[in-house]
Amino acid sequence: MNPPGSLGGLEEKEEEDLSTPILGPSIYSDNPQERIQARRLRIAARLEARRREALGEYLDGKKESEEDQSKSSKQKEESRLKLAKLLLCGTELVTNIQVATDIREIHRRVEEEEIKRQRLEKLENEVKTSQDKFDEITAKWEEGRQKRIPQDLWDVLSTQQVHCAALIEDKNKLISELQQELKTKDDQYVKDLKKQSDDICLLLERMEEQVKNVMKTFRQELSYIEKAFEIERQELLTSNKKKWERALQAHNAKELEYLMNRIKKVEDYEKQLNKQRIWDWEEYNMIKIKLEQDVQILEQQLQQMKATYQLNQEKLEYNFQVLKKRDEESTVIKSQQKRKINRLHDTLNNLRSKYAKQIKQFQEENQSLTSDYKRLVMQFKELQKAMRHFALIDDKQFREIWLMNEEEAKDLISRAFDVDRIIHTHHLGLPWMAPDFWFLRNVGPISQQQQKSATQILEEVLMQTEEEGTEEAASEAESYLDLPKQISAKTTRKILMLLCDESGFLIESKLLSLLLPLEKNECYLLKLDAIFSALGIESEDDLYKLVNFFLRYRVYHSPSSQEQTSLMSALEPGEKRDLEEQKEESLGEGEAEEKEHPSSPKLIHPNDVLKILEAFVMGLKKPRDSRTPVKLKHVRDDSKDSEYWEALTTVIPDTTQNLWDALYTALEKYHLILTQRAKLLIENNSLEQQNTELQMLLQQYLESKINSELQVPPTQVFRVPTK
Amino acid sequence: MQETLVTPTLSVLSRSSITMQDRSSTAGQASSTGPQPSRPSVIPPPSKSKGWKSGANVRRMRRIIAEDPEWSLAIVPLLTELCIQHIVENFQNNPILKQLLPEHQQKVLNHLSPDLPLTVTANLIDDENYWRRCCMQRWPVCHVARHGGSWKRLFFERHLENLIKHFIPSTTDPAVILDLLPFCKNYVRRLRVDQFLPPVQLPLQPWNGELSDSGSEAEMEQPTGDHYQLRDLVAGLSHLEELDLVYGVKDCGMNFEWNLFLFTYQDCHSLAATIKACHTLKTFRLTRSKVDDDKARILIRSLLDHPALEELDLSHNLIGDRGARAAAKLLSHSHLRVLTLANNQVRAPGAQSLAHALAHNTNLISLNLRLNCIEDEGGQALAHALQTNKCLTTLHLGGNELSEPTATLLSQVLTVNTTLTSINLSCNHIGLDGGKQLLEGMSDNKTLLEFDLRLSDVAQESEYLIGQALCANREAARQRALNPSHFMSPITAKGPENPNVTWV
Repeated sequence: MNPPGSLGGLEEKEEEDLSTPILGPSIYSDNPQERIQARRLRIAARLEARRREALGEYLDGKKESEEDQSKSSKQKEESRLKLAKLLLCGTELVTNIQVATDIREIHRRVEEEEIKRQRLEKLENEVKTSQDKFDEITAKWEEGRQKRIPQDLWDVLSTQQVHCAALIEDKNKLISELQQELKTKDDQYVKDLKKQSDDICLLLERMEEQVKNVMKTFRQELSYIEKAFEIERQELLTSNKKKWERALQAHNAKELEYLMNRIKKVEDYEKQLNKQRIWDWEEYNMIKIKLEQDVQILEQQLQQMKATYQLNQEKLEYNFQVLKKRDEESTVIKSQQKRKINRLHDTLNNLRSKYAKQIKQFQEENQSLTSDYKRLVMQFKELQKAMRHFALIDDKQFREIWLMNEEEAKDLISRAFDVDRIIHTHHLGLPWMAPDFWFLRNVGPISQQQQKSATQILEEVLMQTEEEGTEEAASEAESYLDLPKQISAKTTRKILMLLCDESGFLIESKLLSLLLPLEKNECYLLKLDAIFSALGIESEDDLYKLVNFFLRYRVYHSPSSQEQTSLMSALEPGEKRDLEEQKEESLGEGEAEEKEHPSSPKLIHPNDVLKILEAFVMGLKKPRDSRTPVKLKHVRDDSKDSEYWEALTTVIPDTTQNLWDALYTALEKYHLILTQRAKLLIENNSLEQQNTELQMLLQQYLESKINSELQVPPTQVFRVPTK
Repeated sequence: MQETLVTPTLSVLSRSSITMQDRSSTAGQASSTGPQPSRPSVIPPPSKSKGWKSGANVRRMRRIIAEDPEWSLAIVPLLTELCIQHIVENFQNNPILKQLLPEHQQKVLNHLSPDLPLTVTANLIDDENYWRRCCMQRWPVCHVARHGGSWKRLFFERHLENLIKHFIPSTTDPAVILDLLPFCKNYVRRLRVDQFLPPVQLPLQPWNGELSDSGSEAEMEQPTGDHYQLRDLVAGLSHLEELDLVYGVKDCGMNFEWNLFLFTYQDCHSLAATIKACHTLKTFRLTRSKVDDDKARILIRSLLDHPALEELDLSHNLIGDRGARAAAKLLSHSHLRVLTLANNQVRAPGAQSLAHALAHNTNLISLNLRLNCIEDEGGQALAHALQTNKCLTTLHLGGNELSEPTATLLSQVLTVNTTLTSINLSCNHIGLDGGKQLLEGMSDNKTLLEFDLRLSDVAQESEYLIGQALCANREAARQRALNPSHFMSPITAKGPENPNVTWV
């Protein structure tokens, strides 16, 4: 701090310096401990209250805290407010001086400005007037120069002097005035200094007073607060003491009660203990006696046990001896057995080696046999091949010979028929009917006609059905010939189409792609071919079996297909046979059967096709296995051959032959006559020729020139026949 | 830290006490030969001082050689004590401190004389107690709180201030101050010089005294009158943060002359260069130094874009509108937080330019224009600026010839602004109506804590009501200040301590 009473110009700074400590903390540091204590308490209380509020007892806690605040907190709050007010007022009081100085300074400045302005005005006026006067004087100097008379000049000069003196007087007056002002200002300055020092003193006084005041009030408030706390503490103490005393009394009473109870209990227990002791004693004695008895008994038992023990020991020793002997024996046996085992091992090894040798032998044998077998199989296969080859050749030859013979026979027959027809028509004048026999149409060996492959039939069927639209009736008859079964071609075709559509999975995808560009029928044909090869259908019979199977299946299953499938699968193999037999039987009565089954394979649902196929394949398997080897041999039955050939010989019946014989004789006669007639005719002809020659000669004569020279021409004599 | 140190010292103590006893038992030998130093830190004390001590001991021993049951060897001072004493006595020539154990260091420091030369002590001793003793010896009144609570800093700052205060240009050797620089540069953060002596002009003084004061001023100041140049000193002080200067003479008494209070252009230029070069400067005060517009402009120009400056105080000068305009420019070119232009000659235009700068300023916290003459025009401009400003908290417009129009605008500001906490309008001509309007404005304000309307012609009733509103605001602010601590307390667990620290 700067010492007071410094220069006036620095005064305001001083004031600030002095006033700041009041606001600063240094003034508070006089008695910090108490204040810290009080504030700490207050903060703690406040924080406690806040925490309680925060913990949820918001409203209750507030009320409670308000109640709690009753004395100490209220006192604290009051003190705080009072102290704050005091501080504020004190600060205001102290700063009032500064403010007052400020406003005085402002007033001073305003006044100063006013005075300055006035002074300046005055000075200006003065300058103006003095200038005027000076001008006047200078003008008079001119005037004075013109004066020639010394007295006038003197007058002028004296007046000039007077004027100058007046001017100087004015100036001096002004100067003195200003100096006066300056002096007053100096006085003022001194006064101001004094005033300011007074102010500073006042300020200091006030500050000190304030400090004292604040300290006093702080102490007072602190004592109040302490008192409040003391009172509260006292109250708390008394209340707690009361509580404590009450509790203590209750405690004492209880303690007494407990003590009494305890004494009673102790007595009881003592009695009980005594009783117990007596009882125990008695019991103890009893038990002792009993136990002694027991001991005796046990000793007896012990003796017995000892005896038995000795006995047992002896027994066991004997047993041990026996066992030892046995053990020795067993060791001997063991060694024997071991030797035996060794021997057996040797034999086993021998046997093993023998066995290995034998295995080798047998393997070699086996190999040689297998090679033999293979060779034989090869031979057999070659043989078979040769046989097949020969069979084929035989077949061919047979066929060729057959065909040749047949052709010959047919030529003969046709000639016979021609002859017969000529005879009938020309000679007998009867209408001739060409005899219609089945064997006439036959070409090639008879038995081969029936065994067509499935594909051929397929082709036929398809081709036939194609033409069906135009000539149904004819085809019906024809198909009947080809398919002497109970199924119409149409039905077959439909079934096959269905099969083809439904079982496309059996066809190879490569084939399918190849089939795309082909015609519809061809396509079907190839597809079916593939399907049949997959299903194992090779012959016509198989095909018809299949178709038949389809139809039957439908018949069986149309009412309740589900049941029937199971039934079918159950009695498959037997049923199959039946079916085949039925088929054989139904060969003759095909038409009738077909009528029974209204041929509408549309009734077979496409979804059933697969089931049917499955059932069929299952059924087909067995018969096929047995059939395949038979098929290879394929013996041709020549029972019908002789019949056929016989039939061929008897193509012209006996009646006709008789007729022919009679006719022959008659014709012979007729021929004779005719030959006679022919001779006659030839005679006739020669005669006529002679005639014509003669006529020609005549003509020549007549027309000769000699005749004209003759008096009488011969022509005139006779009438010449003109053509 | 202390705990870790205790054990070694204890052990050392015990060891040393044992050795002491040994030594004392063989005291005769010890006195003649001197103790052999077991550690390098222990300096063999010269036999002279030892001899006196031992001699005394011997005498004592002789005197009490009779069966005195109370006699014991412990009376002989410990060797460490002796060593420490010796170190203390010879500290000037052989300063040993850092090598000692902390406890011994303390002892040495406690016994060191405060008169030791600074060349020895300045950079060696950091102990506050020692520097406290130094300070207390030199100055009866010490406000350590004003020096950041550090006695060492206080010592050096005041020492340097004293030197500068009594420096007479061209008479005193500048080395006096500059020699001190290496010792005090780490500790001086603030320079507070309230006196710069002018150069001595002995032959002129009587002549000066004869002449009238007014005349001498203009003639004398030009050639002479330059004061001490701070440039070298400030450039050396690397931690300087505050510079508080008054170009004037104190306690001149009846020797008063106007030219004692001169702030020459030369001074001004050198000061400007000095503060420009000092990048650590935070506070710059130049008061009561007759700084006029031109000088203020020179100074402020050097302060433009200063990296650290936060407070500028040019109160009690002669700054007019141009200086105020320069200050306004500075506001937008620095991070200035406090600007004080109290008791100057700022008028309406200057206040308007300040208001213009203030309107978009985001740094300034306090503006003091006490005892100027900004009048209503300036006051209105400032009020307009405050409607957009969101930073200013303290505004002092006392003694500025303000009247009702300003009050009207300020009342509007009060309803809008939420940052202002303190306004001073004392010593103005607010008038009764103005007071009422201010009261209206106060009724909507919840942040203002201080509002000084003394001696401003306001009706007592409205002043009282405004006081009530301020009280309510203060109470609310106190609650706000308490609340955070309350909310923090469960978390930090030292909640109750924080308010203590802030309040005491």
